[in-house]
Amino acid sequence: MTAAPLEKTIPVGNAKLGHTTVFWIGFAVVMAILIVAPLILPEFWRRFLTEVLIWGLLAMSSDLLIGYTGMISFGHSAFFGLGMYGAAGSLIALSKSLWLATLCGLAAAAGAALFVAYFSTRLRDIYFAITTLIFSQIFYVIIFTWTTVTGGENGLIFTRPHLTIPFLYDARFTSTTMHWFVLAVVTASYLILRRLTRSPFGMVLQSIRENEPRTRAIGYPVERYKIVSVMLSGLFAGLAGVLYAVQNQFAAPDFVFFLTSGDTVIYNVIGGIGTLVGPIVGAGFFQLARELLARLFGDQFPYLIPLGAVFIAIIILLPQGLLGFARRWLNR
Amino acid sequence: MSAQPSIDIRSPADVRGAASVPILKTELLSVRFGGLAALSQVSVEMARGEVRAIIGPNGAGKSTFFNCLTGVLRPTSGRIVFDGEEITGLRSNMISQKGIARSYQITNILPNATAFENVRIAAQSRRHAWNMVSHHDAFADINGKAEVALTAVGLLDKAHELASNLSHGQQRNLEIGIALATEPKLLCLDEPTAGMSQVETNETMELVQRIAENLSILIVEHDMAVVMGLCDRITVLHYGRVLAEGTPEEIQQNPKVLEVYLKT
Repeated sequence: MTAAPLEKTIPVGNAKLGHTTVFWIGFAVVMAILIVAPLILPEFWRRFLTEVLIWGLLAMSSDLLIGYTGMISFGHSAFFGLGMYGAAGSLIALSKSLWLATLCGLAAAAGAALFVAYFSTRLRDIYFAITTLIFSQIFYVIIFTWTTVTGGENGLIFTRPHLTIPFLYDARFTSTTMHWFVLAVVTASYLILRRLTRSPFGMVLQSIRENEPRTRAIGYPVERYKIVSVMLSGLFAGLAGVLYAVQNQFAAPDFVFFLTSGDTVIYNVIGGIGTLVGPIVGAGFFQLARELLARLFGDQFPYLIPLGAVFIAIIILLPQGLLGFARRWLNR
Repeated sequence: MSAQPSIDIRSPADVRGAASVPILKTELLSVRFGGLAALSQVSVEMARGEVRAIIGPNGAGKSTFFNCLTGVLRPTSGRIVFDGEEITGLRSNMISQKGIARSYQITNILPNATAFENVRIAAQSRRHAWNMVSHHDAFADINGKAEVALTAVGLLDKAHELASNLSHGQQRNLEIGIALATEPKLLCLDEPTAGMSQVETNETMELVQRIAENLSILIVEHDMAVVMGLCDRITVLHYGRVLAEGTPEEIQQNPKVLEVYLKT
C-alpha cells in the first residue's frame, strides 16, 4: 500500500544523513517561498494564500486521525468552530489580547474534543465517523440557536486584536504580517505534529491504524490512545479556527456546519493521507481549482460540477493523493 | 520434570512468584455461545517452565480456550489464575501487561511495517509508550529488546524487510518474535506451524524448543505428531471438555484419545 520501492533505492548505509538533509533543504525552500510570497502577491492572492494555510492546518489536524490513527472524523467543523467562537467570545467579552483569545479558542476546542472523544472512540470505522458527524451537528444547532451568546445566524463580529509580543512589539495586523503570523503558527504546528507522529506515541497510533486488535493484544490500551489522538487533533483544529476568526474578524455558524468537515476530509484525500503536508497541498489545490474554475466559467455557471470531475480524476489517477508517493519517506 | 504441584493457591498473594505456584490455572472454565457450550468446565493446571500442548479435533474448543486466556473472550463462568493472580475477564491489553503473550492462528502482523518495526512496537509497549517528543528510533533499550526478539526467531537478517515481503514461514516466526518482544512469562502459540512445509515446521519446532528454556509455553495444535517430541504434557479437548491429560506417551496410548482421533 505504501510506497515501498522508494525506500529501497536509497542505500541503507548513509540513508539517514541523506534523508534528513534532503528533507530540511526542501523544507527551507518551501518556507522561503511562503515567506516572500506576500511581498510579491497582490492583496487578493495574499489573503487567498493565508486562508489556504489555515485550511491546511485544519486538514493537517484531521490527518492525525485519518492518516495516522485510521479514524475518519466528520467532527472537525465542531472543533474548528469552537476555536472560532472561543476566540471571538474572548475578544468581545474579556480582553483585546490575541494570546488570551488563542487560549480561549484552544480551551473551547479541547473541551469539545474531550466530550466527542469520550463517546465516539468506543466505536470504529463508519460508526465513529457518523458519531463525530452527529456531535458536530449538535454543536452547530446549539451555536445556531443560542442567539444571546453566539449571535445565532449572524455570528459574532469583533475588531481584530493587535499582534503583540509583550515589551517588544505591538502593532495592527496588516495582510502581510497576518500572513507571516499564520505561517509561523502553521509551521510550528507542522513541526509539532511531525514530532508527534514519529514518536513512540505516534507509532502506537499507526499500529492501531494497521491492526487494532493486534495493538491491544501486545499490551496497549487502545481506547486511551484514541481519546488522546482525537483531543490533540481537535486542539489543532481549534487553532485553525482561532486563526480563521482573527483573519476574518468574525465567527459564523456556517463554519460549524458539517460541510466544513467534508471539505477537510476531501483536502486529506486529494493531498495524501498520512503525510501531514499532503493535506495542506490538498487544501491549496482544491481552493485554487475552485477559484480558477469560478473565474473561468463565471459565477452563474455551476462550477462545482467541473470541480467534482477534477476530484474524481484525482481519486482514479492518484488514489494515494498528490503527495501519497512520498508517504513513507516523509514519515521516517 | 513436570510433577503436578500440589500446593493450595487459595491465598495467592502469600505465595506469588514462588516457583511452586502454577504459572496458569483454570478452574471450571466454561464458555457458551447461546445454546452451544464451546467450553465446559475446563480445569487445566500448568507448572512454571512447562511446555503444554492443547490438542483436539476441529471444533474441540481449542481456540475458544485460547481466546479466554488472552482476554478476547470473557468466560461465561469459571476462573483463570495466572501466576497466582486472578485474570478472569481482563481485557487483552491488561493480560498482555500481566505477562501472557500470544501468536495468532492467522498471520496477524503489520504488513506495511518492516520486521524490525513490528517487533519494536511490541517491545515499546513496556516502556516509553506515551512518549510524544522523542523519535521512536532513539531508544537503545527498545531497539535492543527488538533485536533480541528478532534474533531469537532467526529473522535478524530480514530486519529491514517489509513484513508483507517475508515468506509465510518467516511471517509466522515474526508472529512469535512479536510475542517474545513483550517479555512474557507465558507464551501461547495458536497453531504455530499451520500452513508450513515439513522443513519449516521442523525449524519452527526447534525454535519453540529453544525459547522454551526460559518460558512457559502453551501450544494449541491440530496435529498431534507436531507436538509429541516437544511438550511435557498434553491436554486433549473434545467437544469443549477435557478428554484426557498426561505425558505424550500416556496420551498416545489412551484408548479414548485414539478413538477420537481415528474417528475424525
